[in-house]
Amino acid sequence: MTTVIAAGAPPAAPAPPEPGKRRQKRERAPLLLLSPAGLVLALVTLAPIGFLVYTSFTDYNQRSLFTGAYNSVGLGNYSDLLSSGAFWVSLLRTVLFTAAMVAGSVLIGMGVSHLLTRLEKGWRYTVTVVLIVAWAMPNVASSLVWNWLFQPGYGVVNWGLDQLRIFGDTTSLDWAQDPARAYVVIWLLIVWQAVPFIALTLNAAETQVPREYLEAARMDGASELSIYRIITLNHLKPTLLLVMILSIIWDYNVFNQIWLISRGGPGDSTSTLGVYTYKTAFVGFHIGQGAAISVVTTLLLLGLTAVYIRNLLKSGEDL
Amino acid sequence: MRKANLLAAIFCLIWAFPVYWMVNTAFKPRPEVMTPTPHFIPQHPTLDNFVKAVTQEQFLTNLRNSVIVVVATVVVSIVLGIFAAAALSRFRFKGRRIIMVVILAVQMLPGTALLIPMFVMFNQLDLLGTYAALVLAYVATVLPFSIWVMRGFFVTIPAEIEEAARMDGASTWRVLTSVLFPLVAPGVISTGIFSFIAAWNDYLFAYTFMQDQSRYTLPVWLASFTNPYTGTDFGGQMAASVLFSIPVIVFFLIIQRNLVAGMSAGAVKG
Repeated sequence: MTTVIAAGAPPAAPAPPEPGKRRQKRERAPLLLLSPAGLVLALVTLAPIGFLVYTSFTDYNQRSLFTGAYNSVGLGNYSDLLSSGAFWVSLLRTVLFTAAMVAGSVLIGMGVSHLLTRLEKGWRYTVTVVLIVAWAMPNVASSLVWNWLFQPGYGVVNWGLDQLRIFGDTTSLDWAQDPARAYVVIWLLIVWQAVPFIALTLNAAETQVPREYLEAARMDGASELSIYRIITLNHLKPTLLLVMILSIIWDYNVFNQIWLISRGGPGDSTSTLGVYTYKTAFVGFHIGQGAAISVVTTLLLLGLTAVYIRNLLKSGEDL
Repeated sequence: MRKANLLAAIFCLIWAFPVYWMVNTAFKPRPEVMTPTPHFIPQHPTLDNFVKAVTQEQFLTNLRNSVIVVVATVVVSIVLGIFAAAALSRFRFKGRRIIMVVILAVQMLPGTALLIPMFVMFNQLDLLGTYAALVLAYVATVLPFSIWVMRGFFVTIPAEIEEAARMDGASTWRVLTSVLFPLVAPGVISTGIFSFIAAWNDYLFAYTFMQDQSRYTLPVWLASFTNPYTGTDFGGQMAASVLFSIPVIVFFLIIQRNLVAGMSAGAVKG
């Protein structure tokens, strides 16, 4: 069926038969419009992905980069991977750290979203601007700011902790030298940058909750907490789901912030899958092995990606 | 003070602090930066750090690299994307759904899934270190979401407008260029801004592909901003961070209204 349609139009009755020539022309139009982008996308995304999978079955390494020579190793990279402790540890690390980041940013985001609904105009505006500025900070810049905030010796965070006099002398505390502390620093950065998107997205949905429901519940003497839990949360569910899926995908893949703050260290203790892949492929130059990790990383996310895509396709789009 | 306002004030203090600290440090002379007791306001405000940042040997070269690559990425993805978006929104045809699924799926790939194969391919084609390598990588990440976001703007145009033009005998091409494109122009601008931000901020591809200092883009320049004689120059680094972030922050404030929609389509990854 090739009828020109527009969004939101009710499913049209079958189009009146058109003269053959014109009909054919219409059929060609979308194809012509799509093909430039389609060709380029095939070249820059589908071809590399195909090549990634291909490379994951080879022993492509540093030497291959110069000579172009490599051997097929079949499923070798995959069996190495599945029997390697480092991979499983990195996977576990990634899952736990992702859970911690998503939980932190979604909970704070929900709080801020709700807070926004209870503020007068002036404060609401101020909070929104603060959120947007934090969100807008390029992550390379914010990672450097974080390094400076937590710098041992002159960093303002260490000075602040020192003033509290709870932890003793913290002036020269080196955050990057201890796995737990390195995680805290990275967690704070990711949550700081993730909250604005989550808070503003949720707030957009929260302002759509019909006022009558809330007022009726209040009249009935329901507490604010139970109103939020029963009415608001129920309305927020679809948005919350979308936001959580996106956060999981983003946090699971996070690279820049970890790389710029701890390089995956100390040792390998903050090497989540993204960093682990990068180190394998571009520090050790075991490119075939790195490709295999990348494939597995992608496959592990496939389920979530599918849910997300279905969600996005459904959400108000005509399909 | 109401409880909500108090909470808002606390939240703003915490969330604005890192940005405030970046700006505060950027205006301090070195002795005030490197002190165990921090100053919350520069005692002797100075522009030295900014001057040092922009007069660095590589700054202008790296800025030029960034601008060339970003502009090329934005132009290519808008031009290719607008036609694809029109096709996916104003026409129904076989395979439409599957194309949209592919477009959305590609965006969700981890960075390394494109980085590794592209590195190998560009190495073989002798493209590593060239603008082309970066532009191709950025088009791969930016074009899919450009198509998706612009499609969202096309769908909002009522069918009647298009039908009216067709009644007047306008060809498909005419309908596109004189009716539809002008109507989606504001959407195209915000899509362009999204693309700009995504390409401007990229560190991973530039860091891996551009191995020579004169080829760096600004994010790589920023991350490697150290003074060889005195270690990390935090004043200079914060001033450079301010300069690098300003265009992005300004753009974010401009497209505020479309931010949420663009983000959920996968633009501007966290």
